[in-house]
Amino acid sequence: MDGSDNTSRTRRRFLQAAAAAGVVGVAGCNTPGGETTETETDTAGGEETAQQIGSGRSPFGERDLSAGVSMAEMPDLEGELTLYSGRGEALVGELISFIEDRYPDFTVRPLYNSAAELVNQIITEGQNSPADVFYSVNAGSLGALADRDRTQALPQDVLDFVPSNFRDPDGSWIGTSGRARSVPYNTNTFSASDIPTSIMAFPETSAFQDQLGWAPTYSSFQAFITAMRILEGDEATRQWLTGMQELGVSQYGDEFQVARAVADGEIAAGLTNHYYIQRVLARRGTGTPLRTAFTQNDAGAVFNVAGAAVLDTADDATLASNFVRHLLSAEAQDYFARTTFEYPLVPEIEPIGRLPSIDELNPPEDIDLSQLSDLEGTIDLLRDTGVL
Amino acid sequence: MATEHRTSADDDADEETQLPLGISIAAAAVSAAVLLPILWLVKTGLDVGFSEAIALLTRPTTLEVFVNTAVLVTLTTAACVLIGVPLAYLTVRTNLPFRRFWTIVVSLPLVIPSYVGAFAFVSAFGPQGSFQRLLAPLGVEKIPEIYGLEGSILILTLYTYPYVYITARASLKSMDTTLIDAARTLEHDRWETFKRVTLPQIRPAVAAGALLSGLYVLADFGTPSIMRYDVFTRVIFVEFGTFGRDTATLLSLQLVAVTLFILWLEARVRGEERTTAGGRSRGVVSLGKWRYLAMGFAALVAGLALVVPVVILLSWLGTASTAVNQSLAFQWSYVTNSVVVAAAAAAVAVVAGLPVAYLSARYDGLLPTAFERVSYIGYAVPGVVLGLALVFFGSQYATPIYQTLYLLVFAYVIRFLPQSVGSLRASFLSVDPALPEAARTLGRTSVGAFRYVTLPLVAPGLFGGAALVFLTTMKELPATLLLRPSGFTTLVTHIWTAYESGYFGQAAVPALVLLFVSGLSMLVILRQEGYDVK
Repeated sequence: MDGSDNTSRTRRRFLQAAAAAGVVGVAGCNTPGGETTETETDTAGGEETAQQIGSGRSPFGERDLSAGVSMAEMPDLEGELTLYSGRGEALVGELISFIEDRYPDFTVRPLYNSAAELVNQIITEGQNSPADVFYSVNAGSLGALADRDRTQALPQDVLDFVPSNFRDPDGSWIGTSGRARSVPYNTNTFSASDIPTSIMAFPETSAFQDQLGWAPTYSSFQAFITAMRILEGDEATRQWLTGMQELGVSQYGDEFQVARAVADGEIAAGLTNHYYIQRVLARRGTGTPLRTAFTQNDAGAVFNVAGAAVLDTADDATLASNFVRHLLSAEAQDYFARTTFEYPLVPEIEPIGRLPSIDELNPPEDIDLSQLSDLEGTIDLLRDTGVL
Repeated sequence: MATEHRTSADDDADEETQLPLGISIAAAAVSAAVLLPILWLVKTGLDVGFSEAIALLTRPTTLEVFVNTAVLVTLTTAACVLIGVPLAYLTVRTNLPFRRFWTIVVSLPLVIPSYVGAFAFVSAFGPQGSFQRLLAPLGVEKIPEIYGLEGSILILTLYTYPYVYITARASLKSMDTTLIDAARTLEHDRWETFKRVTLPQIRPAVAAGALLSGLYVLADFGTPSIMRYDVFTRVIFVEFGTFGRDTATLLSLQLVAVTLFILWLEARVRGEERTTAGGRSRGVVSLGKWRYLAMGFAALVAGLALVVPVVILLSWLGTASTAVNQSLAFQWSYVTNSVVVAAAAAAVAVVAGLPVAYLSARYDGLLPTAFERVSYIGYAVPGVVLGLALVFFGSQYATPIYQTLYLLVFAYVIRFLPQSVGSLRASFLSVDPALPEAARTLGRTSVGAFRYVTLPLVAPGLFGGAALVFLTTMKELPATLLLRPSGFTTLVTHIWTAYESGYFGQAAVPALVLLFVSGLSMLVILRQEGYDVK
C-alpha cells in the first residue's frame, strides 16, 4: 500500500462517515432512513472519467465497442428536454452533454437533486411538472412514481434492450446500469472457494473471525439488510447481525474504505457493492491481491439498478423515450462500465475488469427491487443490535 | 402575547394607537406571503387520514424525539446567549485590544454552514480522527466521544451563537450610554449597572437573536444527523425519503406548532421593552489586565469554530483528484450566482421587514404583534418542506416564475425574513419616538422624519439584518436545489455536487471560496456601519 493512500484512507473513512449522513442533511432528505443513511450512491465513479466516450479506452485496456446499438443507429433527437436527474452531475453530466452535443437542434435542461427529493418534487408539481424524463439511482424511486401513475410506458423496442428482470413489468421504467452486492476478499488469505456461497453462513465461518469489514451507515448496505429481512425474516436477520458482531467485524465509514482495507490486508474480506472493488483495482493495478466473490440467490447477492422513466407530463413522449434509448446505446453502456464500473444492463456490453458477466450472477429471485428503499425497520434493527 | 410597555412618549400621542394604513397594508402583505407555504402544509397534511394522523403523532418515537429536540433546543439556545452576549459586550463596550478584528472574527462562524462544521469536527475529533491520530503516539487511545447530545450542542452553538452576537451587538451600539454614566454616578458598580441598565436595554435584541438560534436548531437536520442525535427533523426526513410526502408534511406542521409555542414563550421572556433616548454612545469600559482573558475567550470560540473546518477543508484540498470530469471544474460564475441571489434576498428581506418591524416596535395590539410573530414561521420550517411548498405554488399558480430566480429569491426571503425583522425591530425599539416627533415639530414630513432621524438611528439594525440574510442565503441548500433554474449553480450546490459524488477534494475549493467571499462581505457590511451613530 502506498503512503498517501493510507493517510487519505484514515481521514476519508471518517469524513465519509460524516459526509454520509451529512449529505442527507445537505440535500434535506435525499434518502430513506434519516441520519444514519448515506446517500444512495453515486460515489460509484472512478477517478478515471476523462476518457472519451465511445473511444473504448479504459483503465483495464482497450475495449471493443462493436456490440450493442450505437447512437448513430438511433433516431435523431430534436427539441428541448427537461431531465430530472437523481444521478449526480459529476457522474452523468459528461454523458448527457455528449448526447446533447451530437444533435444541433437538441437541448437538455437538466435539474440535479437527490432522487427522493425529485420524486417529491414531481408529485408536488402534479400535472404542471416541466419534467420529461426522470433518471434515478435506484429502482425504488422509479417505482414510487410508477405507483402514482406518473410514468408512461416505454416503447417495447426500448424495453427490449435489457432482460425483463431489469425493467418494470408494465414497462413504466427501465434499468440503465446495475450494481451487485459482493464480497471482496484478499487473495493472500482466502481463495474463492473459502468464501461461503450463502450470506447466512458468514457468522458461523470461523475463518472470518476478526477478518471481516462492513459499512453499516451506507444505504446500499442497509438495502441489503432490508433484503435479508424480506427473505429471511426479522429474527434471522437479528441473529445474523449479532453473529457478525461476535465475529468481531470491523466498521468502516463507507464501502470504498472496506474494499481498500481488504486490498491492504487490514481485513481479509468484506461486504460491498461490486464497483468499489473495481475502483481499487483500477487505481492500483490488477496485481493487487483483491478479488470479488458473490453469494448465491440470497440477500448478499442483491442486484439493484439505476434507471429512467418517461413522465406522464412529457411534452414530447417520443423525444423522451428516444433519449432513454440513448442511455441504452453502446456508447452510454460502455460509459457506465468504464466510468462508474457498474454493470451495463444491455447484455451485449461486457462489464469491465475481472467481473463475471451478468448472466453468471445469481441474485435472489423473490425480491421486488422497489421494496429495498424502505429502510425504516432496518434502521431500527441496526440500532437495536448496536450495529449503528 | 407581547405586552409592550411604553415610556411616556406614546401615552399622549393619539396617532400612536391608530395603525398607519399604508404600513399596515405592507406588513399584512408580507405576512400573507409568509403564510402561503403554510397553507400548502395544511392542505397536504389534511390528506393524511385523521386516525392515521393521531397514530403518527402519538407513537412512542414521536415523544422520544420530541423530548430530545426540546433538550437540544433549550441547551443550545442558552449556550448561544452565554457566548454571544459577553462577546458583544466585549467588542462594543470595552477596550478589548484589536476590537475590529475580533468583531469580524467572532461574527464569521455564521458563514460556515453548520453541517460543514459538523463534518469537520467529526473528522477532526471523531474516533480515530485527525486529532486522535495526533495524540496516538502519546499513548492516547481514546478521546471523549463527540457524538450525541454534547457534540450536537457544541457544533450548533459554535455556528449559531453569531445570531445572538450580531443582534446584541447592534443593540449595544445604538444604546445610549449616558444611562450607564448616570447609573455609575448613582454608585452602581459595573455588574450592577450591566444588570440594571444595559441588560434590560439589550434584552429584546438578545431575545430576538436567541429566537433565531433556537428556531435554527429546531429546523436543522444536517447537524444532529451527523452527530447521531435523534431529533424531530429525523422523523420528517425518514418519511420524505420513503416518499411519504403527506406524512412528512403533517409532521412538519407539528414542528410549526412547536415553533408557535416557542414564539409565544419568547414574547413572554422578552417582557418589558423599553425605549431609550437613543443616539449618544461614547466611552468604553477599561478591562485592565482582564483584557487578555477576554481575548482568550474570543480566540477560543472563533478558533474552534473557524480553524477546525478550515484546516480540514485545506487537508481535503490535498486529496483533490486531478483527472475528474468537466462538471466538477470550479467556475467563478458560481461565486457571482451566489452573491447575486444572496444580495437580492438581503435587500428584499430588509425592505419587507421594515414595515413589520416598525409596526411591532411602535404599536401595541394584536395585529402588529401577529405580523411580527408570523414572519418567523417560514424560518422554522425545514428548507426542503418550504421548498416543496413553493414548488407547489410555483408550478400551479405562478408558472412564469417557476424555476426562475424570482421564485428562488422569494423563497429565501420568506425563509430568512425573521433575521431582518428581529434585527430591525430591536433597533426601532431603542429609538425614542420623541426624536422623530421633534423633527416633525421642526417641520419635517413624517417620511422626512423617518428618513433623516429614525433611519440613521436604526442603521446598525438594518445592516445587521441584511448581513444575516445575506450570509444565511449564501449557505442555503435544500430550497435552492428544489427551486433553482436549470443549470444555475451556486457555490453551495457545487459543494453538494462534489460531495455527493465522493469528490471531497473538489468540494473543498468552493467551500473555501464560500468562506472567503462570505468573510469579505462581512467586512464590507461592518465597514458600512461607519454610517452608524457615534
